[in-house]
Amino acid sequence: MSAAAPLLEVRNVARRYGGVTAIANVDMTVDVGEITGVIGPNGAGKTTLFNVISGFTPPSEGQVFWKGKPIVRLSTHRIAQLGIGRTFQNLRVFPNMTVFDNVCVGALGRVGFPAWRALIPGAGRPRTQAIIRKTWDALDTVGLADRAGELAANLSYGRRRYLEIARALATAPELLILDEPAAGLNDSETAELADLIRRLNGSGATILLVEHDMTLVMGVCHRVVVLAAGRKIADGPPAVVQEDATVRQAYLGASDDGA
Amino acid sequence: MAAILARARPYGVVILLAFVLGVVPALLAAVNLGYPFRLAQLTMIFIILAASLNLVSGVAGLLSLGHAAFYGVGAYTAALLSARFGTDLVVNLVASAAVAGGIGFLVAIPTIRLVKIFFAVATLSVGEIIILVITNWYDLTRGPMGVRDIPGFVVLGMDLGSPLRSYYVVAVVTLVCIWIVHRLSHTVYGNALRALREDDQAAGAMGLNVGMMKLVIFAISTALAGVAGALLAHSTNFISPDMFRLPESILILTMVVVGGLGSLPGAVLGAIVLIILPELGRDFGQLRMVLVGAVLFLSILLMPKGLIGEVTAFDLLRGKPSR
Repeated sequence: MSAAAPLLEVRNVARRYGGVTAIANVDMTVDVGEITGVIGPNGAGKTTLFNVISGFTPPSEGQVFWKGKPIVRLSTHRIAQLGIGRTFQNLRVFPNMTVFDNVCVGALGRVGFPAWRALIPGAGRPRTQAIIRKTWDALDTVGLADRAGELAANLSYGRRRYLEIARALATAPELLILDEPAAGLNDSETAELADLIRRLNGSGATILLVEHDMTLVMGVCHRVVVLAAGRKIADGPPAVVQEDATVRQAYLGASDDGA
Repeated sequence: MAAILARARPYGVVILLAFVLGVVPALLAAVNLGYPFRLAQLTMIFIILAASLNLVSGVAGLLSLGHAAFYGVGAYTAALLSARFGTDLVVNLVASAAVAGGIGFLVAIPTIRLVKIFFAVATLSVGEIIILVITNWYDLTRGPMGVRDIPGFVVLGMDLGSPLRSYYVVAVVTLVCIWIVHRLSHTVYGNALRALREDDQAAGAMGLNVGMMKLVIFAISTALAGVAGALLAHSTNFISPDMFRLPESILILTMVVVGGLGSLPGAVLGAIVLIILPELGRDFGQLRMVLVGAVLFLSILLMPKGLIGEVTAFDLLRGKPSR
């Protein structure tokens, strides 16, 4: 743990659905400027953890602190406005809106745009210009600017992943949460994604990444948290976590031959 | 076609104003100074209704089956105010918008969390309840007998009751309402509304206060329906509860769907088609409703996105995004 207060701290969080425990006793921190990865086998509770952090699911127990302040009782839009932007594992772009308008919603969500600003002539202009500028910046970052006018539904699967990232980036997040961004991408697309994540981090973004793809996680993350069956079993730099016996066991089953 | 329209865009407002305030009244006056003007007023009233319903159901994705009830609330507000206190149209318009929008806001507080079809059923029930209250509150509304002899348009003390003057009153109010819907749908705010329709959870994750936005847009939409009601009361001089029931809500919704869900020009065109078409078929007697039904059936079958779909409407009104 670093001496300064972490950007995000998850403390002793549990989430139960009826009798099923999705996650229990999970502690973790995210430090400014780092790429933190969360990995684990299917059903380990990765997405549940993300949903607790972003306010989609209240935890059954425990607390989440953002810059030292508790955020678990806040609604999703309040958490987003604090500076936590996220993407979704099961692609949730706005299909019947253009690429530009999708990203525009992200930019608008962070600064807010009440109805009266649309109705009083001139009242919305400075804010609209700022929103449009942020939209183009985010589109440039992921390389979708030349497709701004197309409907999101017409993009390929891979491009829609990028669109989701652009939409989250447009909210100017201090923490960007990516939920399985490489799901459904082929190897070259995944490599391209790794480049994008490194590039974002290089320009100062703090990133929390849930991922299945080991190469991606081990390649880009500064620190990796491993979940298995709802509990944290390892936490550390990728090289250390990779050698951890518990982690190997969780992924490969009990082994005694050093597989 | 699209290219020609795109080139005409900068002059769109001028063309629209010239058409509504010049060409149409001139053509109507050439036919007859009476009935065509009444029909034109009714068309414009339904343009407001279709445009305001499109805002909430087409753009924001909240299917409402009670729109006509708010239209009725506006009509009764204006009718009773001018019958009892002889108030000016300006006062009546504001009051009708406030009462209808206020009731819309209150109705939305408990119902807005309902999703999709459940919200539609809730609005249907609320609409029927509102009309039942109007029907049974005899001391205030004269119940099923309706309100008669509602004065024509009196604006700032001037009597504007003649067909031509009434036309201009309704046209100006309609243009203002259309402008409001246009601003709410085609500025960046419109993108936020469409995000609610597309995926309200994802919209929340972008920082949009989804519940509050839905409340506000429902209140604005019902306020505009109230304005349409005030115009109806003064232009027909008679209203009764039967004019604001479910069939009327369905008619307005049909205009929106035929025109194109989410498309403002579509809603306007849908209203025009569905008011004018039955009139053109008058010579066919009872068969005319079959004609209307056939047109609706074919239009939805052949043009499911509407006469002017949302994407087409954007190309016309906004153009491609530019830096």
